[in-house]
This record gives sequence, structure tokens and C-alpha cells, in this order.
Amino acid sequence: VSRAVITGAGVVSAFGVGLEPFLDGLARGATAVGPIRSFDASAFPVRVAGEVPVAEVGPAWVSAHLPGHDGAVARWGAAGCFRDRKVAFALLAAAEAWRAAGCGPGERAAGLSVAFGIEHTLFDDLALLFDGRDVDWARGADAPLPPVRIRTPFDLGARVLLAHLALEGPVAVHASACAGGALAVAHAAALVERGAAPLVLCGASDSMLEPFGFGGFCRLGALSPRSEPDACRPFDRRRDGLAIGEGAAMFVVEDEARARARGARPLAAVLGWGSSQDGHRLTAPRPDGAAALRAMEAALRRARVAPEAIGYVNAHGTGTPLNDVAEARALRALLGPAAARVPVSSIKGAVGHLMAASGAIELAACLLPLGRDLLPGTAHHRERDPECDLLVVGEAPAPARPEAVLSNSFGFGGQNAAVVLGRCG
Amino acid sequence: MTAPRRTPGSAAIVGAAAASAYGLRWRGLGAALRDAALAFAPSAQLGATHPGTLASEVPPARAGEDPTDPKARKLMSRAAHLAAMALSRALADAGISSGREAVGYFLGLGASGGPIEELHAILRACAAGGRLDLGRFARDGLPATSPLLAFHLLNNLVLCHGAIAEGVGGPNAAFHSRGSGTFLALEEALWALDDGACERAVAGGADSALHLGTYVELLQGGAIAEGLVPGEGAALLALSRAAERPLGWLDRCAVRRGPDLRAAADAVWDAVDPGAPDWLVLAPWGPPARETLRGVARARLPGAAVVDASAGLGDALAAAPALACAAALDLVSAGGGRALVLGAGLDGAAGAAILSSGGRG
Repeated sequence: VSRAVITGAGVVSAFGVGLEPFLDGLARGATAVGPIRSFDASAFPVRVAGEVPVAEVGPAWVSAHLPGHDGAVARWGAAGCFRDRKVAFALLAAAEAWRAAGCGPGERAAGLSVAFGIEHTLFDDLALLFDGRDVDWARGADAPLPPVRIRTPFDLGARVLLAHLALEGPVAVHASACAGGALAVAHAAALVERGAAPLVLCGASDSMLEPFGFGGFCRLGALSPRSEPDACRPFDRRRDGLAIGEGAAMFVVEDEARARARGARPLAAVLGWGSSQDGHRLTAPRPDGAAALRAMEAALRRARVAPEAIGYVNAHGTGTPLNDVAEARALRALLGPAAARVPVSSIKGAVGHLMAASGAIELAACLLPLGRDLLPGTAHHRERDPECDLLVVGEAPAPARPEAVLSNSFGFGGQNAAVVLGRCG
Repeated sequence: MTAPRRTPGSAAIVGAAAASAYGLRWRGLGAALRDAALAFAPSAQLGATHPGTLASEVPPARAGEDPTDPKARKLMSRAAHLAAMALSRALADAGISSGREAVGYFLGLGASGGPIEELHAILRACAAGGRLDLGRFARDGLPATSPLLAFHLLNNLVLCHGAIAEGVGGPNAAFHSRGSGTFLALEEALWALDDGACERAVAGGADSALHLGTYVELLQGGAIAEGLVPGEGAALLALSRAAERPLGWLDRCAVRRGPDLRAAADAVWDAVDPGAPDWLVLAPWGPPARETLRGVARARLPGAAVVDASAGLGDALAAAPALACAAALDLVSAGGGRALVLGAGLDGAAGAAILSSGGRG
């Protein structure tokens, strides 16, 4: 049976562009949540986020991080692709992963399994159609020059990646909210194991840091109301909501034998995965964590890893009152007595909640223990909530050398995903 | 060096559901399409902005037909509502009343579809002179919207609303689909059954081209001018690893890409290797795909019984392949034999599914 391994990773996060700045930031125990700079958020109820440090994403910024592709980048810029920040983030993370894996023209048969967040609503364009009372949709239908667009296509990022890398393999575009990134990586591993593709570029990208998306989350009441860098405090007694983040994480997942034959160095093995649905309520997770538990159990079963053999859990850990308690209950049920000695942390206090990309970037965070023997800390976790009875790694990263790690991702609407990564010899 | 390609085993079809312009039923759908019964009429949903637009629109549910909770319905997009109705009916058709927490659910879906009135409310509060005032947006625009607007908008909630209503909790995936993503959802359901992730699963697609935003995008992209008739719907197959005398079998499902749609369609045909099916049901995503699929049909199965689902159902986008599968199930369960469902979309990929009779009509 073939084994799927990660041979390259790329990240765009609030720590900057690149996997190393991201892992370095986590290794320092730093936090990158701060005041929003990409739009004027001064009148918004919340004004902080884990924002990628660039005010305006455009061809110049993309080209600076993607040298040698100025022509293509300029064309995508002219076509408006980078008006949706997540498209640029996906491109940069994918290019880094592809390069890091040593992929070239010989890997064109690769597949693509990616997740994105909701379409980016182009309010500036809509405002052009607004006559003071209503939107003149018929005028929009006539596509006046310049054409007025309502939103960017959901799969725009996938189209750009396919064009940039000329990939010829199977394509899957996941739409599973905050579980999407983890499901996209899991699906990539499945495609490799089934022989459907020799390797798969996979991961996720998202940005809700535009007025409509961010405002919608403000309205939903899920955000911490405190506009402070410690807005998100996972598993902490004082937690009061999440901090939005943005960014992307992409990976090259391939058959281990193939990877070794071409001289690629596996960073981690994708050992198992599982998914479930809460089937409970729109606005809250199942309080007992039973559905999340089923996803974790399925992942461990597939990985053939016993719960007590898990050396670290990267929790979904949103910092919302209900989610953290439900996840803690699920983990207690999964780990049993081992819960007292299996360290758990969440990186959402450091970089925010990357929504559709959260599962992917949290798998990238798992490369810290698997590659540098260091567990990410839980930024702003100072007073453990007794209801979250777990061995939570505090603010400082902790040295450890786990053989297998579990990463959880739970989506709005109740989709749950869990992925087990293992150390490669 | 690549692992040998494997294919999942077949699954028994133990139930189905469809919501289409022909109503909330899958039985009779294939026959209606075969008999070329047109279901086009001026769209009610587009009546205010684009009066007279011919469309294939799901009619309002008759009393007692809609199993969704009216309160929950207010938070559903059109596609989510159609999917939720289909899920409830597919589970009932399959007799799956217990153990739903282990039932898998795999869905192809399309663009998000929030209520346009909410968008207008925001713009009324903060747009002037062709510009958006961010300060007014934050102070006045946001409070003008529902706090739960996100539950209309998030694409994956097309899947989740129904799952919540019906208590479905097994393995799952939602794929954005420009045609092939819905075949991918069916294929992933086969894999989930094959590798033991679940014993039973529901799979299909839901979408609406009649959401104003989506329709305007189709207009702007030139699809309407090319002849695309906007449609909508949802359809699901309830699958089981094994069953005695099922409605039918989902024997194979595959998706392939190619340098062009014709090459992709040829590749997926070869991948599922249908032999000489009794029925060929086409599920194109737009007029160019329709021409391609008809060309493949002529070349591969000259003289075969071809049913073009879009001829009766319009272009139901991500729902089209699922509706075509429901129609194919109707044909094979009523008349026996095998059907090949062939689809292609805007994404340069083609999908195919083979359904065969299970003995229970």
C-alpha cells in the first residue's frame, strides 16, 4: 500500500510570506494579531485581525514574492484576480510548496485539491450600479465598460493555480468552510493512495479581511469584542471569541516511494483522516463533542494509531466559549487517561482564524513538532478554563518529539475534519 | 513510480430524491425527459428584474410536501432549501430512519446565494454617488442586515442545513462544481462506502441559476446569449454497500480532465468503459458542453437512445449531473438495463456515472 507524504509546504500568514517566517514566529511564541491596515476599520465594532502584512495586494506585491513570472502576474492583476486577496495568497503559497518539493515539468500530472472560503463580494462595483434606491441589475446584465462584477468566482484561485503550474491531474475544489483545508489535504492523500495521481498540490487559502466579510463576522457575534492583540485566547477561562486571520497553506503530497526515488525529502506522512457532521445546530457545536470525536476516531483508525500514541494535538481551538469546551470534551473522550499527558495547543491566538484555510495552516504548524521538535504554544492562554480539562501548551512553545500528531478542524455548519500526520524516517 | 490506479466497488441505490421543474419526485423524471416534456416557463424568481426570462424553475411545494422547518428555511439559500428537501425525501425513500449519525453525505454545489434584499439594504445605508462609504457601512450598513446572513451565504451550508435538519452525521464533503464536482461527490461517496468509512451515504448536487447574482453572472459571461436556459434543482441518491433488490446500482463514477472538453469526455468514457448502455443521459453545463457531449454520443453510440437532461431541465449547474442520475435511475428501475450519465462543464472536466437496474422497480 502506498503512503502519502508531504514533500513541500508553502505558507502566507500574518507572520509574512513563507513557511519559515511562519514556523519562526510560532517558535518564538510571537503573536501577529494586530490592528487592521488593509481597509479603514476604524468604525467597525472590532478592529484587529491576523492580517497578512500587506495593505494592498496587487501585481507588484505578488511579483516581489514570485520573481520570474511578471507577465503572468500582470495579466492576472489586470483581470482583477488579486482584488480577492486569497487568490494571491494561494498562488504564493502554492509556488513555494511546489518549489520546496523540487517539482518541475516532470510533475505536471499532479492533481489539485484545494479549499477556499466564500466568494469575495465586490461592493465597490455594486455601488456603481446603485441608483440611490436599488441596484440596477439590468444595467449590470449589459456589462457596461468597465464590466461590473458582483463577486469573484469561488474557484478563481484554483484556476490561477492550474494556469500557473500547468497541472494536468484531477481537480477538487472543496467548499467546507473551516473544515475545508483539512479535507483538501486528506483528499489529496486519498488520491495518491488510490493511484489517481502521482502527486497532488493541496491546501487552502482564505481572506475575510474585506469590509463585507469582516463585517459579517462582526454581525454574527463570533469575534472577540476586544480590539486587542490578545483578542483570541483559546481554552482560557477569559476567552470571549475568535480573531479573524487570513492567509494560505499549500502542500505537495505524493507517494512516498515516488518521492524518495526522485530525491525529495518527506517532511511528514499523512497517516489518516476522518470527517463527520455535527448535524446539530447552525449556531453552535454539539456540546458533547460527539461528532467531532467520530472524526478523530476515524482519522486514528485509518492511521492505525492508538489514541495514546498521539504525541501532540493541534486543536481547532477557536477561543469561542462553546467551541473550546466541546472540543475539550471530545479530546478527553478520545484520549481517555492519556489526556493528562498529551499536549494540546491552538495557534489561533497567534495568527487568527484563517477560516477555510485554518485546517491547512494548522497542518503546516504541525511541521514545527515534526521538523523542529517544538510544540507551538497557545498565544494568550494564561488561565486554563476548568471546563477545558486538557494539557494545554501555554504561551511558550515546548520542546517535544512526537511521532504522530492530530490536527482538528471544525467548520461553520458542523462539518468536522481530523488529520493525523506522522514523522518520516 | 505511482501506485496502481484503483477504482471503488459499486454501491446499491436504495433511495433517491429530486427537486426539479417537474416537481419533488424522481420517479417519472427520466420518462418525462425521454418524452421531451418541456418544463420551461417565465421565471418567478427573476420576474422583478428580468421579466419574461424562460427558466426551468422548481415549483412551490404543495401543502405537506416540504419537510423543512419554516424557521430554519428562513436561513436557507434557495439551493440549501432544495438540497434539504431532497435529503429528507431521499432518506425517507431509502427507509433510513435510524443510525443517521453514521450516514455519509457528499454534495456538489455552486455559488453562494444570499438574499438580494440584504445586499440592497446595505447599499441603501452606505452607498452614494457610485461609492461606498466605509464608515456608514460599519455604522449603518451592517446593522441593516440579519446577524445570521452568513448562514445564507456560506457555500457549504447547502449541505449543512439539510444535515442538521435530518441528523445526518457521517463522513462528508462538499465540492464546488461547474459540472464535474458533482460527479466527484458521487465518486467520493463510492469510495467512502468502499473503504468502510460508512455503510450508507447520500450523494448528489444542488444549485440554482435563478439566484439573481448567478443569473447576472451568466448574462455577463455570455452564457445566456449562447442559449443557456437557467435552471435549478437538487437530486440525491441514497447508497448502500449492499442491499437485496435495490432500486439500482451505481456501478462506476469517474471524472477526467483533458486539453479540451471533447478530450475530457472521451477520457471519462474510456475510464468508465460503459460498453453499450441502454440509455445515455447527458448533463451538460452550458451550450458548448451540450454540443460536445452530443458529438461524443454520436461518435461512440450512433443510434443510441439519448436523453439530454438540459433539454427539459435547462442548465441546473451543479445540480445537473445529479438530476440526470435521478432521471437515469427512473429509466433503468422502470425498464431495466443500464444507463450512462455523461456530463461536462466549464471547468474543462467531464464526469460519467453508470447506473444499472437493481430489480426493484
